[in-house]
Amino acid sequence: MKSMLKRILCSFLVIAMAWVPFTTQAGMIGSDAAIVSAASQADRNTVTNFLNRTDAAAQLLSMGVDQKSAQARVASMTDAEVAQLAGKINSLPVGADSGLGTLLLLALIIWAVWYFAFRR
Amino acid sequence: MIPAALYRGARLLAGALLFGLLLSGCASMVPQTMGLREGWPEGVPTQFELADVPFFPQEDYQCGPAALATVMVNAGVKVTPEDLVKQVYIPERQGSLQIEMLSTPRQHGLIGYRLAPRYNDLLREVAAGNPVVILQDLSPGIIKKWHYAVVVGWDYPAGELYLRSGEKKREAMPFTMLEYTWKKGDYWAMVALPPGRIPVTANEQEYAAAIAAMERVGDKAAVTKAYAAALERWPASLGASIGLSNQYYAQGNLKETEAILRRAAENHPTSVVVSNNLAQTLSDQGRDAEALALLDRAGTPEPPFAAAVAETRALILQRLAKSK
Repeated sequence: MKSMLKRILCSFLVIAMAWVPFTTQAGMIGSDAAIVSAASQADRNTVTNFLNRTDAAAQLLSMGVDQKSAQARVASMTDAEVAQLAGKINSLPVGADSGLGTLLLLALIIWAVWYFAFRR
Repeated sequence: MIPAALYRGARLLAGALLFGLLLSGCASMVPQTMGLREGWPEGVPTQFELADVPFFPQEDYQCGPAALATVMVNAGVKVTPEDLVKQVYIPERQGSLQIEMLSTPRQHGLIGYRLAPRYNDLLREVAAGNPVVILQDLSPGIIKKWHYAVVVGWDYPAGELYLRSGEKKREAMPFTMLEYTWKKGDYWAMVALPPGRIPVTANEQEYAAAIAAMERVGDKAAVTKAYAAALERWPASLGASIGLSNQYYAQGNLKETEAILRRAAENHPTSVVVSNNLAQTLSDQGRDAEALALLDRAGTPEPPFAAAVAETRALILQRLAKSK
């Protein structure tokens, strides 16, 4: 139990430390801040972004994604996207099903409705 | 006893009413399919298919990697669904998130763009040669069964669309059925295209944001190319101007940075970002007095960028003091 806690804490810290803030040259307002954040109408600061990123990466990690991939995946998201994910990876829709069975079921239901309602 | 004729009449009437009710109910279930009857998108053929789009049969629950590989390979990237599993699949949830479907192409130099939630836009993109990934809920009931598939064509007279989906290379699905399953995910659809190839239905602001999103991980030359193409298509685009000028600035090309920002300032005289970045660029060329005058003219900056503008001003004042 203790070692598990330690492992989680360690991975959390490793992710946190590896986080390089995304900035352009001093003085210039970067494209991410100017375009993406303006589009999402959100006023987020560096600290929130940092916490969101760490949180999203830790969540991916806890769901079976390896650490290197988790970091790379979160790194390729914008601040707005990370904010959407943080704390919600468990409840957001994930596309998964191959769908063959359910489509057949759907077709069967439609056919049954038609059969019983309009047969005569 | 009710006469047989009357009984038959009543039954017929009830049946007709029920049928009408069901029909109108059905019609409201697929509003966009109904809309296509009157408003088929202009310039889009009624029979069309991108037959050369590759197919990767899905393994287990990995329709996300399979669908994404389909559009990415079609866009010229050498990648397999197995490569993408590490980037877009979540083992414990046995699936892929929409946000990651959009962000993963960035790691391969492509721009993921979410389409507006319209049948028209989906059809126009495919007709322009861009296969579209859609999110469907294939469950008829309350439990959600989310699934990614790729639309590659249709035969409107026959009432069918064609998809790369799951284990099927060419699944035919009625327009109504596709809308019914697609609507439940708010008509979520995306394309992934190389820089310079702008989705035909793209919105200027959202496309600029999609490029900026790639800037974080993407190749610099690719990002520059994408912004330049966006600015060519929308010459007054604020986002593309800021993005492209920032690329030139990072390369140390101050002349080109200034030229783009000057044009942007004409089109968007109230943009705080443009005036701040232009002032910085002027100051870097030793034109501090001009830069300061520009900031003074711009007035009080708005909250999100106030700190950045204050910093720029402080730097310019510092440089002015030094040069005296």
